[in-house]
Amino acid sequence: MIRQSDGVSLSTIINPENVFFLEGKPSKEEAVLQLTEKMLPRVAAIISRKALFGRVAEVEKLNQVLESGFYIPHAKFPELDGFHAVLGIIPEGFVDPATGLRVKALLLLLSPHRPDFFQRHLNVLSLLSQTFQPELIEKLAVLKDPAAAAALVTGK
Amino acid sequence: MVPNPKFKQVFVLSTAMLSFISFWKAASIVLCDFGSSAYYAGGIAMNSFGPAFPWFILGVMLFSGLMLGVYTESCLMFVRGGVYVVVREAMGKVMAKLSVSALIFDYTLTGPISSVTAGLYLGSLLSNIMPLLHINWHVPARAFAVIFAVIVTAYFWRENIRGVEESADNNLKIIAFVSVVAVLLISWAGLTIYHRGFTLPPFEPVFTEKALGWTVHFPWLKAVGVIGIIMAFGHSILALSGLETLAQVYREIEDPKFENLKKAVITIFVFSVLFTGLLTFMSALIIPGDLIAGKYADNLLSGLALELDGPYWSRLGMQVLVVLSGVLMLVGAVNTSFVGSNGVLNRVADDGILHDWFRHLHKKFGTTHRIINLVAITQILIILISRGDIFLLGEAYSFGVLWSLTFDTLSMIILRFRKQDEEREWKFPFNIKSGNVYVPIGMVAILMVLLAATGMNMLTKKVATIGGVLFTMTFFTIFHISEKMNEKKAQLYAPDEDNDEKMNLRKEADIHTVVPELTKDRRVLVPVRNPNNLLHLAAVLETADDDTTDIIVLSAKIAKGIQSGGETMSDEDKEVFSAVVLMAEKYGKTVKPIFVFSNDPFYSMAQVAQAAGCDEIVMGVSGSSGAEVQLERLAMAWGMLRKPDVPAKPVLAKVVWEGRQMTYQLS
Repeated sequence: MIRQSDGVSLSTIINPENVFFLEGKPSKEEAVLQLTEKMLPRVAAIISRKALFGRVAEVEKLNQVLESGFYIPHAKFPELDGFHAVLGIIPEGFVDPATGLRVKALLLLLSPHRPDFFQRHLNVLSLLSQTFQPELIEKLAVLKDPAAAAALVTGK
Repeated sequence: MVPNPKFKQVFVLSTAMLSFISFWKAASIVLCDFGSSAYYAGGIAMNSFGPAFPWFILGVMLFSGLMLGVYTESCLMFVRGGVYVVVREAMGKVMAKLSVSALIFDYTLTGPISSVTAGLYLGSLLSNIMPLLHINWHVPARAFAVIFAVIVTAYFWRENIRGVEESADNNLKIIAFVSVVAVLLISWAGLTIYHRGFTLPPFEPVFTEKALGWTVHFPWLKAVGVIGIIMAFGHSILALSGLETLAQVYREIEDPKFENLKKAVITIFVFSVLFTGLLTFMSALIIPGDLIAGKYADNLLSGLALELDGPYWSRLGMQVLVVLSGVLMLVGAVNTSFVGSNGVLNRVADDGILHDWFRHLHKKFGTTHRIINLVAITQILIILISRGDIFLLGEAYSFGVLWSLTFDTLSMIILRFRKQDEEREWKFPFNIKSGNVYVPIGMVAILMVLLAATGMNMLTKKVATIGGVLFTMTFFTIFHISEKMNEKKAQLYAPDEDNDEKMNLRKEADIHTVVPELTKDRRVLVPVRNPNNLLHLAAVLETADDDTTDIIVLSAKIAKGIQSGGETMSDEDKEVFSAVVLMAEKYGKTVKPIFVFSNDPFYSMAQVAQAAGCDEIVMGVSGSSGAEVQLERLAMAWGMLRKPDVPAKPVLAKVVWEGRQMTYQLS
C-alpha cells in the first residue's frame, strides 16, 4: 500500500518540551532508559509503564546506530494515534559498543502500529536520519537550552 | 553529510556473460554447425548407397524436426543443459560420462570434416579458375584440402587460446549470406529442372561393399526392405550433427525465452529442410549420376552450380558464391567445434569428472588452453590421418552424432517418469496420460528409430565403430580417472586464484564508475544474499521489460570497519552470483550483478540506489528481522544518505515473499 500524502514535518514531533540534555556519561542502555522515563508521562494514559519499557527494551535489540552517530530507538504500539518522540542530547556522548561510533544525539520514537500509518512511520525515520547529520549533532551538543535545540532541529 | 564511505570494494560481474541474443542469432549459431552438413552429406551418402541418397537426406532433415522437438523439451527443463546434464539427471554419472565422450567425438570430428570439405570446395573452384587466369599449377584436391584444413584449424586454435569470443553477429551475417545464395541456387535449379524436366531418383538404396561393413558376414542381414532403409538412414544421419549446439546456445536466448526458442527451432528446421534437404534433392535431379559419384562427390553443391542451365561464366559465378558461402559456414563450424568441445569439457570439469590439470587457465588470456590444445592436436591428427578423404571422415562422423542423440532421447523419456511432478512449459507431442505421468509415446518411437540406426551403424560403419569406441573409451577413462583423483583431493581443495577470472569479475573503487554502464530508462535494484532465497529476483525478472529496465543485483558482504581494499570474494559469495546468473539465463534477461563489501547492507542498498537513480528497490524477506524492520532500516539509511540539494525522486521499496509483498515509498 502506498500513500502519497504522508509527508511529515519535524516541528510536529520535536518541540522544546520533549528535548532533554542528558547529564554525565550514560551507556547506550542507560540513555535509552532515561529517554523512556521522559516518554512515560506523555503516553501514560494509554500505555502502561511495563508495556512501554518492555517493548522499547525488546525492539532496542534490533535498532542500530546510524553511521552519522545518530540513534533512533523506535517502537510501535497499536494503542497510539500519532507520533510521540523525545530527543536526548548528550554533550559528551557515549560509544556504541556494536559500531564504535560516538553517539551524542538520540531520539526515542513511538508510532502507531497500524498498516495505514507505516508509510508515515518510514517517512519520519527517513526525515530524522536525513536531518541529524554530524554537523547538526555537533551544534546541538554545545547548546544548553532545549528551545534553542528544538529550533535548530526544526529550523524555526 | 556522512563523511565515511561505506564501501571497501565494489566487484562487478561482467555483463558479457549475461548478454542475451535474439532467436535469429541463436538459430544462426546452430545453423553454422547444423546446416554446414549440406555441403558434404549428400556426396557421402551417394558414395555409400547410390542414387537413392536424396530421399534419405531429405528424410533425415524431416527427422531433425522431431529431434529439435526433443531438444526443445530438454532445453526447457535445463537452462544449462546439453547431453551431459540431461543424461546425468536421468541415468547418473557413468552414463553421462559415456554420452559426453561420444559427444566429444562428434565435436572433435566436426572440425576436420568441415575444414576438409571447405578445402575441397575451394580446391575445386581454384581448379576451374586457374586455367582461366593461365596459371598452370596443379595441386591434388585432397592435398590442398589437408593443407587448408590444417591452416584453418591452426587459426582457430590460436583464436580460441586468445579467447576471442564467437560472435553471434558474425554467425547471423554468414547465415544471411548463405540464405541469399541458397535462394538464388534453389530458384535457378528450379528453372533448370523446369526446362529440362526430371526423373525422380530411385528409392531403393544400393550399397557398396564398403558401406555394408560387417553385415556381409551375416547372410540373414540383407540390405533390402526395412533393413536397407535403416542402413541408408544410418549412412545419412551425419547430416544431423550440430543439434547439440541448440542446447548450448539456449541459455543465451533472450526473453521471452520459450517463444524465442520455438521461433529459433522453426527457423532451424525450415532452413535445414530447404537448404540441406531440398538442395541435395535438386542436385540429384540435375547432376548426372556419374558426376555425383565422381567429379562432384566431395563438392556436391559446387556441382549443382556448375550443372545449371546458363552460360559458363554465370555458372562459374554461382560456384564462386556457393564456395564462398560454404567456406564461411564450414569454417564457422570449425570454430564451433572448438567452442563446443571446450564448453562441454569445462561443464564436465565443473562436475569434477575432468582433472583440474585440464582447466588450467592461460596466464595471459585466461582461457582453458590445455583443453583447447588437446582438441586442436586431435583435430590436426585426424585431418592428417584422413589425408583429405571426406568419405572416411563421414563414415566415422555419425558415431558420435547418433550416440549422443540416442542418450539424450532415452534420458528425456526416463525424466518423464523421474521428474513427473516438474512443470514443463512444453512437452514433445504424442503422450498418454497415466496418473501423474505423460507416457512419451512419441519420444519412444523416436528412440526406436535412433536405436535401430545406432545398432545398424555399429555393424555397417567399421571406421566409426572402431574409432568411435576407442575414442569414447579413451575419454571415458580420462573422465573416470579424473573423477577418482578429484574425489581424493576433495578434502584438500583450496580455492585457486583463477576463480575471479572464471567468474569474469572486475574490481571498481567506487559505485559511480559503474553507473555510466546503466543505459536504460528504468532501474531496479534487487539486493540478494541467499542463493536459495531469490524469489524476489524471480518476481522482478518475470515482470521487468528487458528493453527498458536495468536490473541491478546487489550482494553486500558485511565487513566490519572500513579499511583499505584487498578483500576477496569467498566461494559462498560467488555461489550467490552463480545462482543470480543462472536465474537471469532462465528468464533470458540481462542483470548487472554487483558485489560490495560494506558495514551495513542497507547503506549499500541506499547508496547504490541513489547513485544509480533507481526507481525501485525489491528485497526478499529476511527470516531474522522481518519485512517491517528491513523497510525501517532502509528508510533510515535512505534518509541519512539523501542529499538535501538534490530533488527527491520517488523510489518504491518492496519486500517480496511467497504470495505477498509490501510496497512503500522512500522519501
